Amino acid sequence: MLTEDDEDYFTEPGFHLPGTPISVQKLPSQSSLPMEPLGNHDSEAGSPPKEKSGVQQQEWILERMEGDSRPMKELPLTLSEKRRIRERQQLRMRKISGWNSWKDSQHRAARRFRERTTEVFQYTEMWRGSLHRIEGHFGSGVQSYFSFLRFLVLINFVTFLLIGGFIAIPNMVFEELQLKINSTRPVIAENQTCLLDYNPIHQGLVQFYEYVMDLLSGTGYMELTYLFYGFYENTAVDLNSFSYNIPLAYLITTLFYFLLSLVWTVIRSVNRFKQSLVNEDSSLSNYSQKVFVGWDFCISEEHSVRLRQNSLRYELKMDLEEEALKRRQAARTKLQRARVYILRAIVHLLVLALLLAAFYAIYVATGYSQQLISQDLVSNNFFLGLLVQYLPSIVITAATTILPIFFNVFSRLEKYSLTWEIKLTLIRCVFLRLASLVILLYSLWTQITCNGQKDEPDCKTCGYNKTYPCWETRLGQEMYKLAIFDFLTVLIVILLVDFPRKMIVQHCSCKLIQLWGQQEFQVPSNVLDLIYGQTVCWIGTFFCPLLPLLNTVKYFIIFYLKKMTLLKNCCPAKRTFRASSSNFFFLLVLLFGLALSWVPILYSIFTMTPSKACGPFQGQSFIWDTIPNAIEPLPQVTKEFLYFIGSQAFLVPIFLFLCILISYLVALANSYGQLVKELKVYVQLEGRDKYFLVKQIKEMSEANENRHKADHGEGTWAHLITNPF
Amino acid sequence: MGAAGSQLSKELLSEYQELTFLTKQEILLAYKKFGELLPKEERSRVLSVRIPKAKILTLPELKANPFQHRICHVFSTSEYQDDSMSFEDFLDMLSVFSDSATPEVKSHYAFRIFDFDEDGALDTHDLEKLVNCLTGEAEGTKLSESEMNQLIQNILEESDIDKDGTINLSEFQHVISRSPDFVSSFKIVL
Repeated sequence: MLTEDDEDYFTEPGFHLPGTPISVQKLPSQSSLPMEPLGNHDSEAGSPPKEKSGVQQQEWILERMEGDSRPMKELPLTLSEKRRIRERQQLRMRKISGWNSWKDSQHRAARRFRERTTEVFQYTEMWRGSLHRIEGHFGSGVQSYFSFLRFLVLINFVTFLLIGGFIAIPNMVFEELQLKINSTRPVIAENQTCLLDYNPIHQGLVQFYEYVMDLLSGTGYMELTYLFYGFYENTAVDLNSFSYNIPLAYLITTLFYFLLSLVWTVIRSVNRFKQSLVNEDSSLSNYSQKVFVGWDFCISEEHSVRLRQNSLRYELKMDLEEEALKRRQAARTKLQRARVYILRAIVHLLVLALLLAAFYAIYVATGYSQQLISQDLVSNNFFLGLLVQYLPSIVITAATTILPIFFNVFSRLEKYSLTWEIKLTLIRCVFLRLASLVILLYSLWTQITCNGQKDEPDCKTCGYNKTYPCWETRLGQEMYKLAIFDFLTVLIVILLVDFPRKMIVQHCSCKLIQLWGQQEFQVPSNVLDLIYGQTVCWIGTFFCPLLPLLNTVKYFIIFYLKKMTLLKNCCPAKRTFRASSSNFFFLLVLLFGLALSWVPILYSIFTMTPSKACGPFQGQSFIWDTIPNAIEPLPQVTKEFLYFIGSQAFLVPIFLFLCILISYLVALANSYGQLVKELKVYVQLEGRDKYFLVKQIKEMSEANENRHKADHGEGTWAHLITNPF
Repeated sequence: MGAAGSQLSKELLSEYQELTFLTKQEILLAYKKFGELLPKEERSRVLSVRIPKAKILTLPELKANPFQHRICHVFSTSEYQDDSMSFEDFLDMLSVFSDSATPEVKSHYAFRIFDFDEDGALDTHDLEKLVNCLTGEAEGTKLSESEMNQLIQNILEESDIDKDGTINLSEFQHVISRSPDFVSSFKIVL
């Protein structure tokens, strides 16, 4: 439609493009970066390169890019172009002063150093290859599960290092060297009953199965290892220039690793949080994101590509359907709407009833298990004993596997939109998981403190139930069992469910079984499992200091197990899991788990009487007393300063100040949101203006063209676009 | 420049490191892989030979990719428009798709890959082709016409900020900037 002559006009920088309608968006103001850097990749193949205009355009781009202060690699140009720009820059560099060029070279060297260090770090990154491989098969959504797992391994390992370095090893060394200089235990004048009963080692002949049982439940000989709270000493070593107070170290390390986990997780989630803030209304760009970002370029398997295409198509179709559904919903009559609301209410009640039933079962099971453990009938029978020991874990695991199935079924009845459906099920599952831990702890608390009544006969003498001579260790054992059982379930599920399922599906062509199909790797439920395990670990760490080590090993093994079952047994999920959308949600749940684990620990630090028969805090009335005791011998000024920091006079103003800061920042964020909205409107107006102008140009040019035709008989409006007046 | 042996010269290597997002190991790996695509007699001239498109597409990383033709086309600097690739084109491609490339560079090239008719804007035809690549182009896997129209209309409604009926680079980058997954998914690693 255009003649050869006309193309010259179009290949000039601003108006490069052939084709109608007039490309409004190619006006120079609109393009932030040049689109066609080198050569003219015209769609009509075979046309020879256009010498003159190509070179002109290139020069124009190079000039524009030269002044760019970004590092060369960040320019969207080809290598040879970058090389030319660099040559030009170097030429110019020679002209400018020595100081500037020195500064520039310094700048460059620093950048290169940074790059090299990150390169080294990348090299040492754990499981990099595995993550790449998983990404190639299943996309970045599943990969996010594995990087989350890696994060947990790291955090557990660092916690273990802290505990090992500051608590376990010093304790070990002092014991070896017989350095028990002074015990911080005060002389106990009260009755000795609380001290006497504690002797966990089995009396008499020990049978082999008891060893196994002790190993699995942390009793007997296991109880007297560094694994548990009760084994640590309340010693303080005070050589002439070196003093080390184990209880103080124990307490401060605990507080410190909690703080560290908090900061680490927060830092990790801040980035995501920023993104989700920017995403303020992600529903508004839902389709564009799916289409523009939907393709995972990492996927390289032909089979996976097909699966990915299927899942994308499925997703797009579902979204379109959902939209239609919403429109239909809006058109619902009052009666229909009332019916849906009633249905929802019923479902909510059902879910609530199920949750309460589960919680009651956990509560009762924990109570039973605590009462039955000490009975002879139970402790003499291996399987019965094991069953009783693991009763709470079994009930919790059963509840958390069975109830989600019901939740899934229910959520379909509720007629929410699909995304809401998934979210709601997820929220219910999270609540179930974390709340069941709370119930377990509450059940233990009622046992240990006689329901919080210190006047009960069992609790009167010691301040806690005297059937628990070392209650901290008992708590640690419960968490230890939960962690072990969690690991065992993963193992059993993989061996007895995933593998056979794959086998059956592969070798049996029966229709029903094919319909059942291969297993899908469900990222959300798997991540929830991890978060649950981590919360158990955090709760248990104070009472069972080596639990982080166990957890590190556990997650390390789980990584390989999950990777194996993923690559061997699973097929990609039908509905793909977007890495970021829920990543933040998971970190939020993790933070929630962390906060949850603070509660029992702070509670026992500040209000419970530490057991008098064992542990680093024996003999004190509260665990927290360690800190004031440690501050006591300090010089007057330091002491007063520390007391001031801990007093209301300091904390209340700080609290108020933080509140003010938060409200200020919230206001700021809101105003930015407002600004964004206004700017959007502004851009729209601009666009309309531009459209109007171009339309006018077109009209004028057409009018001109007609006149032109009348004059010369031949001509196109194109001349007038570049030169309308 | 033209290193005669099978090894890259040190200066060239450091230059590539400066001009691309690739690390030393990645460049050497790319060099090896590129050499393997060449017939035996040409292996000594890796830096000056162009590999035809058909050969490039045998790479496992590109073989199954539905955007393979677009990728070749965008990164090829061939004068004859035959989408053949030189080693430097190849490096350019890997650099853009590497882990450490900035979102700006990535989104710029993503836009060019998705701009099928290369007019500097994504119009309805580009979007249709793009969606077909995503869902598979066969008759059975395509979206139906009404679905496609609805989808494209939705996309334009969401992303076409200035309401001119097409999505230009800055609008595209705006959408991308709000999608944190982009950097991790717009990635090809050898």
